[in-house]
Amino acid sequence: MTGKERILAKLRGEPTDSLPLMPITMMFAADLAGARYRDYARDHRVLADAQVAVADRFGFDYVSAISDPAREASDLGATVEWFDDQPPAIVESRALLDEKSRLAVLRLPDLSAAGRMRDRVEAVRLLAERSGATRIVEGWVEGPCAMSADLRGLNTLMLDFFDDPPFVEALFDFTVRMEVEFARAQVEAGATLIGVGDAAASLVGPKLYTQYVLPCEQRLIAAIRAFGVPARLHICGNTRRIVEGMGQTGADIIDLDFPTPLGHARHAMRESQVLLGNIDPVRELRDGTPASVKAALAECYRQAGAAYICGAGCEAPRGTPHVNMEAMARFARSRS
Amino acid sequence: MPDLEKLREAVIEGDWKTAAAVTQAAIAAGAEPLAIVTGYLVPAMDEVGRRFECDEFFVPEMLLSARAMKASMEIVRPLLVATGAEPVGRVVIGTVKGDLHDIGKNLVASMLEGGGFEVIDLGTDVAPERFIEAAAASNANLVALSALLTVTMTWMKTTVDAFQTAGLRERVKIMVGGAPLTQQYADAIGADGYGESATSAVALARKLVAAAS
Repeated sequence: MTGKERILAKLRGEPTDSLPLMPITMMFAADLAGARYRDYARDHRVLADAQVAVADRFGFDYVSAISDPAREASDLGATVEWFDDQPPAIVESRALLDEKSRLAVLRLPDLSAAGRMRDRVEAVRLLAERSGATRIVEGWVEGPCAMSADLRGLNTLMLDFFDDPPFVEALFDFTVRMEVEFARAQVEAGATLIGVGDAAASLVGPKLYTQYVLPCEQRLIAAIRAFGVPARLHICGNTRRIVEGMGQTGADIIDLDFPTPLGHARHAMRESQVLLGNIDPVRELRDGTPASVKAALAECYRQAGAAYICGAGCEAPRGTPHVNMEAMARFARSRS
Repeated sequence: MPDLEKLREAVIEGDWKTAAAVTQAAIAAGAEPLAIVTGYLVPAMDEVGRRFECDEFFVPEMLLSARAMKASMEIVRPLLVATGAEPVGRVVIGTVKGDLHDIGKNLVASMLEGGGFEVIDLGTDVAPERFIEAAAASNANLVALSALLTVTMTWMKTTVDAFQTAGLRERVKIMVGGAPLTQQYADAIGADGYGESATSAVALARKLVAAAS
């Protein structure tokens, strides 16, 4: 099987020759390719070179255009701080929507114009050309809670849930409309899967998640699936109290960070729901040994059952020993 | 004298307007500022921490309570200063250089303030020399370093080393926290303590201050 066939078969619930392998790599990929992260995040050609190189080196079943959460915010005009060799960051103290009234005049970015969102679309196009025949090509968008936090400021958004619910609903609606168009452009460029990163959602409890976040994630994921590609939902952090809701988003892959045991997620979701993850990226993948990585993955697989894709809880950190990544790849290839 | 139990409830419920109003009325009626802090604000934030630990509260609820606590503390603090009352400890806190994430640091800062500490919050992207300047200027006995990224947590070691070089390491206890951190890492860089959560950070800070005194 090719990597693409393997992942798609797993998503259809069909037998596979081995476990699909889909760890998130960004700085790890850039380092492998000898690229500065600033260039990786700014130039789709650098990103595509590094993604193909890391997938070739470790036998990944996919390549991804994920790089940082600031692409959409940049194109909307938010203040972003750039670093030489780490991901750019949105400056919360100068949040684009520090005045709520600005939301009413905010327009969706023009995806045909030059910008960071366009650069991701071009990354997808290049990855599809170079790797799309045999691997899944993953596009990436921000989820509604994360994107709203990017625009409003995370601290302020958390208070807005109580201070101004209609504003939160309007902001979430804007972000979903924008991300649907962003996903559409990436699918048209050749993406065969869209990842949705909604990191901030792990900070709210089940009540706010169900009331505000889940309906918008469902809307976004339904739109992505209507474009004819599967969706992967990744929420960084501790999602134990919202994982049941995550299982209702309609995402084909629920990609969990390490604080949520896969057994806990399996118990909260249907047996056929594909789970991805979730060894501790720092304590295990980076700081562990090949033997401990293998043991941790075996435990993930045991808890998740057959509907399982190999990966870490979040991005493979810079400095992850290659032998540990090789151990992950060997584990995936040794199980079906 | 207003019912100060309402202050405790307002902080837990995250009602900053009531918290400020009850505090104002209590001060006007002659309540002791220190008694308001130790008798009501500290217990209220302890309860908030307890609810957070057992998943009754999440980050939004914590931030609401912190805002209510601060609304009361803004009224009380100048009076405490005027009476010369000493805080439990004086802590300089910030997210280390190159890292703009602050929600975890803000939660810890609020819990420390609600725990009776004086908090000097330097914000995000804080260079080692700024921590040193602030600690020296405020005569702090604690420094709290936060990082969310594996690429920025290395600045914690740089900062700890900088305190050593500046000759201030013996005067302050340094505690660290953040998602990618471990006790092992804290030990390796020579920090005095590692807090896994906002509430454990308060317990750790109290322990470190007690050990130093």
